[in-house]
Parts: sequence; structure tokens; C-alpha cells
Amino acid sequence: MKNKIVSMSILLLMMSLLYACANTSSLPRTHPEDVGKAGMPDCTACHTDSWGAMNHRAPDFMAKHSNYAGSSRQVCSSCHQESFCADCHSHKEEIKPSDKFTDSPERNLPHRGDYLSQHKIDGRINPVSCVKCHGRQNNARCASCHR
Amino acid sequence: MKSNYTKKSCQAFGAGVAVLASALLWTTPLIAGDYSFSGESNTILRMRTTINDKNLFPAYEYLRLNASDNRSDGTGLSFYLGAWGRGDLGDKSTSSSTDGDLQYAYLTYRAPKNNTAVSIGRQFISEGVATERIDGLYLRNDFLYGIGASAFVGHSVITEPNFPGGSIVYGARISQTDKKYYTVGLSALKSEYENSSRYREEEGLDLWIRPHQKVDLTGRSTYNSLTNGWMENNYALSYAPLSTLRFGADFSHINFKDYLASVTTSALSLINPVWKANEKQTAVGTSVAYSGFKNLNVTADYRFYSYDQSGDASYFGGKASYSFPENLTVGAGLHRMDGDTDRLRYVEFRAFASKKIGHADLTIDATNLNYDRNINGIRACYTFTGAAGYELNRKLKLGADMEYSKNPDFDNEVRGLLKATYTFDTTFAAEGGTKSEK
Repeated sequence: MKNKIVSMSILLLMMSLLYACANTSSLPRTHPEDVGKAGMPDCTACHTDSWGAMNHRAPDFMAKHSNYAGSSRQVCSSCHQESFCADCHSHKEEIKPSDKFTDSPERNLPHRGDYLSQHKIDGRINPVSCVKCHGRQNNARCASCHR
Repeated sequence: MKSNYTKKSCQAFGAGVAVLASALLWTTPLIAGDYSFSGESNTILRMRTTINDKNLFPAYEYLRLNASDNRSDGTGLSFYLGAWGRGDLGDKSTSSSTDGDLQYAYLTYRAPKNNTAVSIGRQFISEGVATERIDGLYLRNDFLYGIGASAFVGHSVITEPNFPGGSIVYGARISQTDKKYYTVGLSALKSEYENSSRYREEEGLDLWIRPHQKVDLTGRSTYNSLTNGWMENNYALSYAPLSTLRFGADFSHINFKDYLASVTTSALSLINPVWKANEKQTAVGTSVAYSGFKNLNVTADYRFYSYDQSGDASYFGGKASYSFPENLTVGAGLHRMDGDTDRLRYVEFRAFASKKIGHADLTIDATNLNYDRNINGIRACYTFTGAAGYELNRKLKLGADMEYSKNPDFDNEVRGLLKATYTFDTTFAAEGGTKSEK
């Protein structure tokens, strides 16, 4: 018990020291430039560091965006409201994202067109891609047939 | 089986947070003096006739509210709320003629230093292995030497489960970053049933490496401690030798037994006969994209899916798109799926165009799927969508969509949708451009 208290105290002391010495400025709460006006932003136009990788026009951005969000979500929050994520990442939803935004055909929105037929293909190819949204939530439609 | 927690306690918790946060935010301006309140309302009416000749007219209201205390030093208290409700104007669209949900409702505080953030309420957590919606608490902070740490604890938001899911969920991620070159993170997530027995235990490594400005590697490996196996190893590499040319490659390996062990949906559980319980999938993909012509992007891609027990499949093709910002977007794509079953042998074609004319915008979108052999007597499937919108003013936009489809499940299906979007913003964000709702 005594050892645990000493270890915890040392850990807390180190954390406090690291915190106090870090003293970095937080990311701005809104992006300094309004980058969404000209369609999908190309972050490399200004950023030469790792944030340049978040170039939304890159063909693999959609596939990689979960890694960027899981690693640095505070960067995403500089431009996107919570509602932007919730348009697709919802735990209970009745309207497909592609039905909500038919006026944005260039966006990589899931379940476009006739998805009742297509889901049998996607589910067979890679059920894991379904799990992220429907594995533990947002599964009322699944349960209506898969009992 | 429905979760009582989700239906009652959860909504009460969310409502409680909303009331508390609203009270705080309405009193905060008196102290802070720099305050913004914005939101969006989407009223949607959908129309369709089912295969049983039921006429469905579900009407939805989606409401998003954001309130922020924008102090000049960057410190800020904000509240975000998103919810929707549905009422059926015709026949019942589900088992109930009304339904709704609190999507998110949380209060967050961000400090001016070290990216310190504290959030409480219903929120979406995205930290390494965790991609969860919880009712709970989230903390994050940066330390010295590029070290960052985050932690969360709360109640899982699980809806309509076929099997019982976890109750409490908690986790943490620690990372080390050199902003120019890399971020490496280690994360863990645990969840327990209401009787405190183990439900999920997952640990993972996430990487984001940028050794050179032209090279970017991201990926994640996730381990399931309950099944003692790797759930997934998923990595993607891109190389852009020129600003107009980009090569991509990705690799993923998934063990179904470990990945699907804790789902609450029977359709995705290991009891589903569509896939074998011990199935392992390896997928390898590659792509090349060229954008040498002004506003024109051309991409070719190939992906090979390999399974231990089922047959393999290849998906390959290309697409091109041209976009002139705020005016015209056109695109087309052609892909071939070549698998071992009838449903996995088809050619897919999609074309779309969207044009803005003054305050109006028009969109057409067509998809065609041609199976090699008939599925339910249908070989060629079509979906045509037309959409029109008109901006009455900066705050109000009206829109209408019509969709026709013919596929193995519906012979000639027509759906319609009417939409009114109203946005409001009492002040523009103090520190720059407004954030995007879309």
C-alpha cells in the first residue's frame, strides 16, 4: 500500500511537472481562415507539417479520416461542428446520410442509391465496415429483418 | 430486447445535461460578454409507398444548437446539442408512429494552454481504439515533449440490441507527437456488463508517420484481450511525388472471431451464417490519382480481398470528377467487382452533376449495377436521383428530391423528399471563420 501511494505521488508529480512545463498554446477554436468556401479544402496549400496530410481532396482522405480523427480530433474541431460528425456517425438514425445530402453528390457518403440490395454485397465483402456504425448501435433497421 | 437504459435513463440524463448547460450558458454572457449562439433546423418530409402498399409520410425535425462563450484568450465554455424527432403523417413507418433521439448534448471547456479540454454529457469519443458514443466525461491534455493524454468514462449508448451490451465503458490514450514527422498512440478501452462481468477489453497502437512531406502512413492495430487475438491491423500509405500525382497503397487483416465478438446486432454477430466464425480477411489495395488538369481529378484503384475460408474477390476501376467551386461539379466512375458468388460479380457505373444557378441548385445522380447473372430475375439495377434547392435568403433554404430505383428487391420504387433548412447565428465566431455544419 505504501509503495502504491509513493508510486502514485511520483506519477502525479511528474504529470504536474510535464503539464506546467509544456505551456503550449491550444489550437484555435475556429480555423483562422474560412477554408470551406471553395469546396473541399487542400490543407497542403498552407500546411507543410503533418496537418498538410489532412488534404480533403486526396482520394484516400475518406479512408484515412478515422485515423486522423482518432489521433488528433481537436484539429478536426477547428473547422467542424459536432453536427458534422453526427450526420454519419449517429447511434440512432432513420435517414441515410446520402438522402440528407443529395445536393452534394461529390461527397463520399455511405449507402448511396439502392442500399437494400447493396448491403448484401458490402456485408459479405467486409462486415467489419458495418460494425463501426451498426455493431452496437444504430441497428433498428438491421433488427427489422435480422432477428 | 430493448435497453431500458437507452430509452429512459439515458434521455433523462441528456435532458438534465441540456437544462444544466442551458442555464449555465444563459448566465455566462453576463460575465463573459463575448458570446455566440448558432444552430440549424432541418424539417424533412419523406414520401414512399411500401411493397405492402402502405403510404409512408414520416416528417422529421433535426435540431442543432451551439452556444459558445468566446473569450479573447481562447478559453471557452461551449454547449452543443443535436436531436431529432419523427411523426408519421401517413401509415406507420416503423413499429411506432413517433420516435426521436438525443444525438449529442454536452458541455465542454477548452483552456488556452496545452489543448486542455473537459467535456461532460452525451458525446462522440474518437481516441485510438475507441470510437464510441457515451453519456459521460472526457478529458484531454498535452504535456511536455509532445506527450498527450486523454481519458473517458461513461455509459455506452447502445440502441435496439439483439444481445445485451455493456454498461460502463472507460478508456484512455497516450500519445507522443512530433508535429512535423509523426504521432504514435497507445490506447485501451474496457467495458463491463451491469453485473460487472467483462464485456469488451481492447488495446491498440495507432500510427501517423510523415517521414517526408510527400509520404504519409496511417494505421492502427487493435487487440482483443477477451478473445486473445488481433481484431485488425489496418495501414494505409500514400506517396505524392508531385502535387498533381498521388499513389496510395493499403493493407488490412481482420480476424472475424475477435472483431465481431462483442457486437449486439445479430446481423453482424458470429451466428450469422453469411460468414464463417473463424474467417480471416486480408485486403490489399492500391490507387493512383492525377489532378494535372485544372479542377479535374482522375483516379484508378484496385483492391483484392482474400479470405481463409470463402472465395476471393477483386474490385477495380476508375473515376473522374471536375469541380468548379460554388458553380459546377460533375463526375463519373466505373468499377468491376469480380467475386465467387453471383452477387459479387457485377459492373457498377455512376455519374453525377450538380450545378448552382443564382440562388438555385440542381443535382442529378445515376447509378447502374449490372450483375453477370440474374438476381431475383433482375440483372440491371438502376437508381436515378434528382434534387433541386432554392436559397430564399441567407438563413432559409428549401429543397426537393425524387428518387427512382429498380433492383432485385424493388421493381419500380419511387421516393420523394421535401426539406426546409433554417440556420441562425447571433454572432460570427470571434476568432475567424464560422464552423461548418455540413
